[in-house]
Amino acid sequence: MRNIVRSLITLLALCLTAPGQAIDPKLLLHPPADSWLTYHGDYSGRRHSSLAQITPENVTALQQVWKFQPEGGRGFKSSPIVANGILYLTTPDNIWAADVRTGKELWHYKNRQNDAFHIGHRGTAIYKDTVYLTTPDCHLIALNARDGKVKWDVVIADSDKGYWSTHAPLIIGNHVLVGVAGDFDNLPGLLKSFDGDTGKLQWTFYSTPPPGSKDSISGGATGGQMWITGTYDPDLNLVYVGTGNPTPVLNGGARPGDNPWTCSIVALNADTGKLVWGFQPSPHDTHDWDAVEVPVLADAVFNGQPRKLLMQASRNGYFFVLDRTNGKSLLTVPFAAVNWAKGIDAQGRPIPDPAKYPSRSGVLVAPNEGGATNYRSPSFDPQTGLFIVNAADSYGIYFFKPEHGSYGWAGADYGVAERSFLRAIDYRTGKIVWSHPIGEGAGSAGVLTTDSGLTFSGDNHGNFLALRTSDGTTVWHENIGRMGNAPVTLELDGKQYLLVGGGNALYAFRLRDSAPASGAPAVPGGHHGAAARQ
Amino acid sequence: MMAQQNGQPPAAPGNAGGNRRNPATTPASRPAPRTATPQTYSAEEVRNGEAKFAAQCGFCHGRDAAGGETGPDLTRSQLVADDNRGDKIGPLVRAGVPDKGMPAFELSTADLNAIVAFIHDRKTKTESLVGGRRSVDPGDLATGDVEAGRKYFNGAGGCSGCHSPAGDLAGIASRYKGLVLLRRMLYPSGRPAPKPATVTLTLASGETIKAPLASEDEFSIAILDPQGKRQTYEKTSVKFKIDNPLAAHFDQLGKYTDADMHNVYTYLDTLK
Repeated sequence: MRNIVRSLITLLALCLTAPGQAIDPKLLLHPPADSWLTYHGDYSGRRHSSLAQITPENVTALQQVWKFQPEGGRGFKSSPIVANGILYLTTPDNIWAADVRTGKELWHYKNRQNDAFHIGHRGTAIYKDTVYLTTPDCHLIALNARDGKVKWDVVIADSDKGYWSTHAPLIIGNHVLVGVAGDFDNLPGLLKSFDGDTGKLQWTFYSTPPPGSKDSISGGATGGQMWITGTYDPDLNLVYVGTGNPTPVLNGGARPGDNPWTCSIVALNADTGKLVWGFQPSPHDTHDWDAVEVPVLADAVFNGQPRKLLMQASRNGYFFVLDRTNGKSLLTVPFAAVNWAKGIDAQGRPIPDPAKYPSRSGVLVAPNEGGATNYRSPSFDPQTGLFIVNAADSYGIYFFKPEHGSYGWAGADYGVAERSFLRAIDYRTGKIVWSHPIGEGAGSAGVLTTDSGLTFSGDNHGNFLALRTSDGTTVWHENIGRMGNAPVTLELDGKQYLLVGGGNALYAFRLRDSAPASGAPAVPGGHHGAAARQ
Repeated sequence: MMAQQNGQPPAAPGNAGGNRRNPATTPASRPAPRTATPQTYSAEEVRNGEAKFAAQCGFCHGRDAAGGETGPDLTRSQLVADDNRGDKIGPLVRAGVPDKGMPAFELSTADLNAIVAFIHDRKTKTESLVGGRRSVDPGDLATGDVEAGRKYFNGAGGCSGCHSPAGDLAGIASRYKGLVLLRRMLYPSGRPAPKPATVTLTLASGETIKAPLASEDEFSIAILDPQGKRQTYEKTSVKFKIDNPLAAHFDQLGKYTDADMHNVYTYLDTLK
């Protein structure tokens, strides 16, 4: 029975999305090649595409097709989605729809003026004919995907208390999962599921207890905000979400113990929001190292056994591999400069060294507050087994004294120096297979890999880079301004497109029509195949 | 919203980002430039600007304009010091600095004026503070041992390979205090600019040029010629060797114990 359902779903996926067609959420299980339907592109968070028309051999024939620079646009920290030939792009308070073939704006919706935090925005999501915008003032707004007309508008959390939202929702069936952020106030961490049709609240998951709770396990910590889109395993019906740092942020003494479930990866039942398991990359964090980085899912062999894996390159500098059925650790290895842990405990968690807690006279800590990586998407390439991440070797100095109190930040910290790299980690061992320098300071680009052996990302000088995935050598570059997130890719009219934000614009690239097809391998998978050219 | 203003603000740029050679992106580590044209703003303008600043600018520049996750400390910015009622800040905010990750902002004149008022008010308030930001007091830092610091400076730290207490560091503790001195010790940046890296270039013709490095990425290298103009070369067309004195500072960050750091700081703090 399940096989029949699978075949039907596959058939459905093979039918390319057509203009005006509603996006059935089942399509997200097998996203078609002419779309990029979710923040991550699929439920696995791998940001890997089977498209292979653009290859290491012909990538130098890439050329810009259009540039979308909307009025009032700002640096894009978001990842666009594409459905029915329409791309949807967001910044705080704004969502645009544009024709993906031409980059021409179709409609624009601007949220009401508000004085909430405007830090950035990750993107939107589509369910049937509705797209969703989370706002700095913590509303979830449902819009008609065709014309941008508001269908409904609900409050996620109280922005007057210090919450804001940058979240790209995760659609699972009729669930619209949205998270919030808020570091400057002691607020419980929450993730909510709304009905995609009506906006009715379905469930709330608290990573730290809401006010008035008894039996708190968090040790008095608040925080643990879930501000990056999670991933999902349909067979287990588990959604995986990373949680942020505890508050007060640098004053750990005010919240003794490990402070679950802050700086954690949590597995939740998608229909109820109930916690199934949790794993803490940073127990008792005192350095602002949110563990919200994408929990990437893969089914692969580990130590000779086929496993359901979850991988995270965490902001605290460690790469984690877990069994995602139960949250048990399989591997914990640093992927960047770290000096804050005394070792790894029996559960696979780094053990914080109290000597590196923020202090009155200051401690020198690697990584710095921004972390060894941050929210920008990594990519997992199943062919090479490489997990490719924007990484930094960085140092900061951290201070806390009782006069700093126990509200909000409760301390002070300063970056000292930082160097960035694109690093390829072998998921089986944690070994760094290659490390490609991208400049001083913090990196800002995410990563996309494709089946043709290409890795797309950016450096700190505004160059959009194509690297050979196997060894990290650059095969093409073009300066488009600093990237704020990862590229996406899709196939339209037989041509593979790359969409990437640089500076204040979104760019579309594809191969020149006259580009040689030399070296382009025959591509399995039919609908993903390169059109015969010339 | 106001309740948040009373909370402890985001401390500082863990993720300072950007090109450290450009002083506009390197917060602290230098005395704040003085405001060129004294100007005053009403309490109402400042209060209004505080909310607008927190919403639009706060995450990158800190809610008190003293630097945040990715943006520099505006109270120490030369551009802010030179600004008179928004004549410098306004155009920059409206155009953005895309290369440094700052977007262009679409703001009404009233909102922009309020933000300008708030930034100048913060600058005035910060100018009354000496050295460190937040509540990191110079007295918090000098907890080390002078002799141990001197020994590390001359020995394991390798500092004496480039620096001397009677030479470049003479009077250093009179020029910099507290957090500014500590950060400059760990990784010099800001003004006066640390000694730039030197490039030795060999052109295709065989000619060799030795010059200060202006900028570098994976594909090109730019030097400052004797007239101070940038000359850019594709890396594939030249041979080059870069001697960067800051590289030793970066390497040392992975070697210091916290005791070493405080000892060297305490030693440098005696060089008045």
